[in-house]
Amino acid sequence: MEIRFHGRGGQGAVIASELLAQAAFLDGREPQSFPFFGVERRGAPVTAYARINDRPIQVRTSIERPDVVVVLDPGLLNTIPVTEGLKEGGLLLVNTRRAPEELPAPPSIRRATVDASRIALSHGLGTPAMPIVNTATLGALAGATGIVTLGAIREAIDLYVPSHPAENVRASEEGFRSVRVAESTAAPLAVSAGRSPALLVLPEGPIATTPSYGIHTAAWRSLTPVVHLERCTRCNFCWKFCPDNAIDFDAHGYPVIRLEYCKGCGICAEECPPRTIEMVAEG
Amino acid sequence: MAKLTIPAEELMYPGHAACPGCAPALTMRLLLKALGPRTVVSIPACCWTVIATSYPTTALGVAVLDNPIEATGASVSGLRAAADALGLKDVNVVGFAGDGGTADIGLQALSGMLERRTNAIFVMYDNEGYMNTGVQRSGATPLGAWTTTTPVGGSSGGKPEPKKDIMGIVLAHHPIYAATLNPSFPEDFVRKAEKARSLAGPRFLHALTPCPPGWKYSSEETIRLGRLATDSGIFPLFEVENGIYRITRKGGALKPVDEYLRAQGRFRHLGDDDVRRIQEDVRFRWERLLRLEAESANLVNPGSLRFPGPWIGERAGITGTLEADG
Repeated sequence: MEIRFHGRGGQGAVIASELLAQAAFLDGREPQSFPFFGVERRGAPVTAYARINDRPIQVRTSIERPDVVVVLDPGLLNTIPVTEGLKEGGLLLVNTRRAPEELPAPPSIRRATVDASRIALSHGLGTPAMPIVNTATLGALAGATGIVTLGAIREAIDLYVPSHPAENVRASEEGFRSVRVAESTAAPLAVSAGRSPALLVLPEGPIATTPSYGIHTAAWRSLTPVVHLERCTRCNFCWKFCPDNAIDFDAHGYPVIRLEYCKGCGICAEECPPRTIEMVAEG
Repeated sequence: MAKLTIPAEELMYPGHAACPGCAPALTMRLLLKALGPRTVVSIPACCWTVIATSYPTTALGVAVLDNPIEATGASVSGLRAAADALGLKDVNVVGFAGDGGTADIGLQALSGMLERRTNAIFVMYDNEGYMNTGVQRSGATPLGAWTTTTPVGGSSGGKPEPKKDIMGIVLAHHPIYAATLNPSFPEDFVRKAEKARSLAGPRFLHALTPCPPGWKYSSEETIRLGRLATDSGIFPLFEVENGIYRITRKGGALKPVDEYLRAQGRFRHLGDDDVRRIQEDVRFRWERLLRLEAESANLVNPGSLRFPGPWIGERAGITGTLEADG
C-alpha cells in the first residue's frame, strides 16, 4: 500500500505521513515514510510519502504509482497534478467542504472528502489562514480505508505530537466519523495487497570473488608477440612493463607470453632492449 | 636470468578489462606488488571500476570496495575506522581514484581525509581526463590538449587552461608523505610505494598514466611516453616526506617538450608558439621544484627552523583516525 500526501508547507503533510507510518507500526505492520526534498517553505507545495506492508519494505524510492492520494489543501487541485499515477480503483481523499462527487477525477478513481479545516479550527489547531489539518485528515483516511485503526492513530498522536495532543486526538476522531466517500463502481482497495517489489538482496561479505583470470582476452588482439629467444638476455623488461600481467618465465628465466590473456598492445616488443620480440599480424 | 628489480608477487590478475597498453592497469599491478596482500582498495566510479569488476569477477587479489566517484576520501577514512574497530593493525587502506575522482569531483573527500589525518594511502592515477566516459576534459587535462569537450577547430584550440596542481593542493594539507609515480620507472615507483606503506598517517601518490585512446597514440608507446614526460620535466619524479622535497630522477638537462607533445594526437594541432608557451611553463615549474628541494633541505639542519610534523597521534604511533584526532 503506497500513500502520497500533497500539502503546503506548515500544514503538516510530512508529519501526517510520519504519523500514519507510526500508527501502522503500532498496528503491527511494516511502515515507511519520508518527504520529497524540495523547497520546504511555508506555503510552498510539499509532497510526502508513506508505505505500509505486512513484510519489511526494501524499496526506498519516491512513490510514482500510489494507491491513495491525500490532499491537505484543496487549492492544490488546481495547481498540482495530484492524481498523477494514482492506480485504478485507488482513492483520492481531499480536505474540502465539497462533496466527494464534485472532485475532479476519472470514474475509475474512488473519491472521499473531509472538511478538515473546519474540524481543525473547531479544536483550536492552527489559524484560519493556516489550519493544521493533518490529524483530522488522518482520521478521515482511517475512516475511508481502514489501512490503520483509529486507536493506533490516537496512540501515535499521544506519543509523537508534542503540541495539543488531546485536541489533535479529538480532531482525528471527528475526521474519522465525518469523512464522506462517493459511491463508486471501482473495485474497493485491497488494504493488505501490494507486496514489496522483489529486489536483489546483496549477501553479507564479498559479492564478486571469481578471479578474472578465467576470462581470456586474446580476442582483443590484432598483433601477436613472437619472442626470438636466441637473442633474449632474460632482462625481464617485457614482464616488468606488461599491463596485462600476461608474461611469465619458464624454468630457465626466459619469458613465456600467455597468449590467452595478451591483448597485443606491443609494449613488450617496444621496450625489449635487444629487440627480440616481434609483433606479427594475426591469421 | 637477471635478478628481479621489483617484487615477483602478482596481485593483479590477467583477464581484466583494461584497454591494450593501459598505464592505469600497470600502475595497479606495480602498486600491489609494493603493498602486498594485506591491502584493501577503495575504487570510485572510474576506468578501474570497469577494469576490475566485471561481475561476478574481480581482477584483484585484495579486497575491493566500489564507491561513488566523489566519495573515495570518505570511504578510506571509514575503512580505516573499521579496521581499527576490528583491531586490524597490518592492513594498508588505499584509495585508488582517477584524476576526476581525486582532483575534481573527489577533491572535498580527499581534503577531508587528509585533514582528518586518516592513516591511509590515496593514489591518483592521472590519465588527464574523464577517459572512462569517452575523453572529456578534467582539471588535470593539460594546457592545449584536445578532448571531446575541448575540441580543436573554429574558435577552440584544445584546453585553454593549464593543468591543476594536485600535488600543491595535497601538500597544503601537510601529509606525512606525498610522491609522484611513473610506471615507466618501475623501480622508483615501487620504492616510493613501499616507503608509503612503511609510514603512518595520510599519504598521497600521484601517478601519471598515459592513455592510448584518450591521448591518441599507439598502445606500444605507453612506456616511452611516460619516460618522456618525466625526462622533459612535464612530470618530474619527486617525493615530499614531512615537508622535505627530494627529486628522485634528475637526468641532467631536460629534454625539450616537443618530442613528448608531437607523439600524441591530442597535441597535434599545437603550433610552434603553443609549444614555446608550454615549454616556458614546464621550465618555470621545474626551476621552482629545484628551489623547493634546495630550500626545504635547509629546514632539516639541526637548530634551524624545523617542520613540526608528525602530528600528535602519528608521533605517538597511534594509527587510528579517531584516536589521532582526539
